[in-house]
Amino acid sequence: MEPCASGALFPMLSRLTPYLLVLPLISFIVVFTYIPIAASLNLSFREWDFLSPTMPFVGLENYRLLFSSHEFWNALRVTVIFAVISVPIRLGLALLIASYLVREALPARVLRGALFLPSVTSTVSIAVVFSWLFATDYGMVNAFLQTLGLGKVPWLQDPQLALWVLVIVNTWKQLGYDIVIYIAGLQAIPQELYDAAAVDGGGKARVFRRVTVPLVMPTTYFLLVVSVIEAFQIFTVVDVMTQGGPAGATDMLVNMLYRVGFTLFDIGQGSALAVVLFALLIALALFKARVLGRRVHYEA
Amino acid sequence: MKPDSRILTALALIAGLLFLSPALYSIFMSFQTVDAYYTGKFEFTFENYALAIGQYNFARYLLNSIIVAGLVTLIALTVSTLAAFAFARFRFPGGNLLFAAVVATLMIPSHISLIPNYLTLAKVGLLDTYAGLILPAISNGFAAFFLRQYIRGIPVALDEAAYMDGATPLKVLWRVIVPIARPAIFAMGLFIFISEWNSYIWPLVAVGEEELYTLQIGLARLYRVNPGEDVINWPLVMAASTITILPVLLGFVFVERHLVRGITMGAVK
Repeated sequence: MEPCASGALFPMLSRLTPYLLVLPLISFIVVFTYIPIAASLNLSFREWDFLSPTMPFVGLENYRLLFSSHEFWNALRVTVIFAVISVPIRLGLALLIASYLVREALPARVLRGALFLPSVTSTVSIAVVFSWLFATDYGMVNAFLQTLGLGKVPWLQDPQLALWVLVIVNTWKQLGYDIVIYIAGLQAIPQELYDAAAVDGGGKARVFRRVTVPLVMPTTYFLLVVSVIEAFQIFTVVDVMTQGGPAGATDMLVNMLYRVGFTLFDIGQGSALAVVLFALLIALALFKARVLGRRVHYEA
Repeated sequence: MKPDSRILTALALIAGLLFLSPALYSIFMSFQTVDAYYTGKFEFTFENYALAIGQYNFARYLLNSIIVAGLVTLIALTVSTLAAFAFARFRFPGGNLLFAAVVATLMIPSHISLIPNYLTLAKVGLLDTYAGLILPAISNGFAAFFLRQYIRGIPVALDEAAYMDGATPLKVLWRVIVPIARPAIFAMGLFIFISEWNSYIWPLVAVGEEELYTLQIGLARLYRVNPGEDVINWPLVMAASTITILPVLLGFVFVERHLVRGITMGAVK
């Protein structure tokens, strides 16, 4: 499939053509993605505050400090808890709603549009709006609770509750995306299987448990891994709503990375954290590649 | 229409509105005076928008967001389409390796490059510039991967016919491939524009000068200037928030189907 005419006329040019075509993209990727990986690794072995003229090599000192700091283990713990709470809630709700939407034609389109909208909306706006919603004194949630005769709840000031608010915001934002992916997965299930299940008898709940859930498993695996990877990179909502507070109760890994790197300007420590986060996420991504590999096999 | 399907439609509509009510109420609130808001009354006003656009500089932030998201989309689509064409249509030594390097960027979390990119741009004096906001955002292989898959579905015979007529590869790309791949390029463009419009952490890092804030940074700052909720001017903040989401909101009505298709394709491939 060599382009024949120009290949015959300008053999040299023809051989260079594909390289010239990929050159712009490859340059961007090398300069802003691949070199930075090497640079982060290098910086993580050095001590630097962004200003001093030298950056002495300190070996594994940055990693030792990181792994012995309460801050890191707290951020890792909070991030893992956030992922463990929010991902199952998101996927469970999304599958239930998607399995309803996939069968209804017109109402589904209206509802799908509404549910999908937050996932393309500015995260900062959403975080600001929910900050107001959950504000202690003039927020809508507390106003509602008060009409029920209940007291004000300090949602974002309570270390126990703040993380749950972040889970709610994240679910509200991402649910539509999960639903759209689930709908695509559900549409791939042959109708005959539902018909067969109906013939065998059994309520909607039974069909859902015995047919829908197992057959949509490949989509669930995909969403599971994608949303765990995403949960590990959460930053914006936290930065706007709580900045990691109160008392570190919502401090996630990327928020710590931003703080160490760009407010404390501890470049070495920040890079070590970036490398650790990178290793974690690459491990998850490779796991995803394996799982998706199995999925292809499963469908074939 | 059967009566029960009309009821279902109404229910779906109500459920959708209920789901979106926080956002809808925030838009409603943006047309309210502060005094009325805090006394629980309603007084219609455009004052919050005038204040946000004028005194709080959101006209400038809006312009910055349009420039940055627009240019990122344009440049990323151009370089990605060129590369996708090469990966889909040419077999060349090292081609597979380069393609793997492009696809691998999908797995690489962008946070690993935060500090190094900041240092690189500082070194060449591009912090606090449009270029500094734009260039690192181009480094994403998703569009090239996505478009390459799409182009491979276009019959090669079409290219060959054009080459027979003496067309150059660029002409084949422009005259044959791009017109056919337009839906995919369009979907990808939307995807890039929206993610860039909403991007937060990189502009936060790369820009310190207020004149270069994008809407996201401007809004976050406006909210955080005084997060003590007793004194915060919520209607003003909501007007700013509405300005921030409006372009995507308006566009969404027209492109929802394309967007959903694009995202599904990306996930299923």
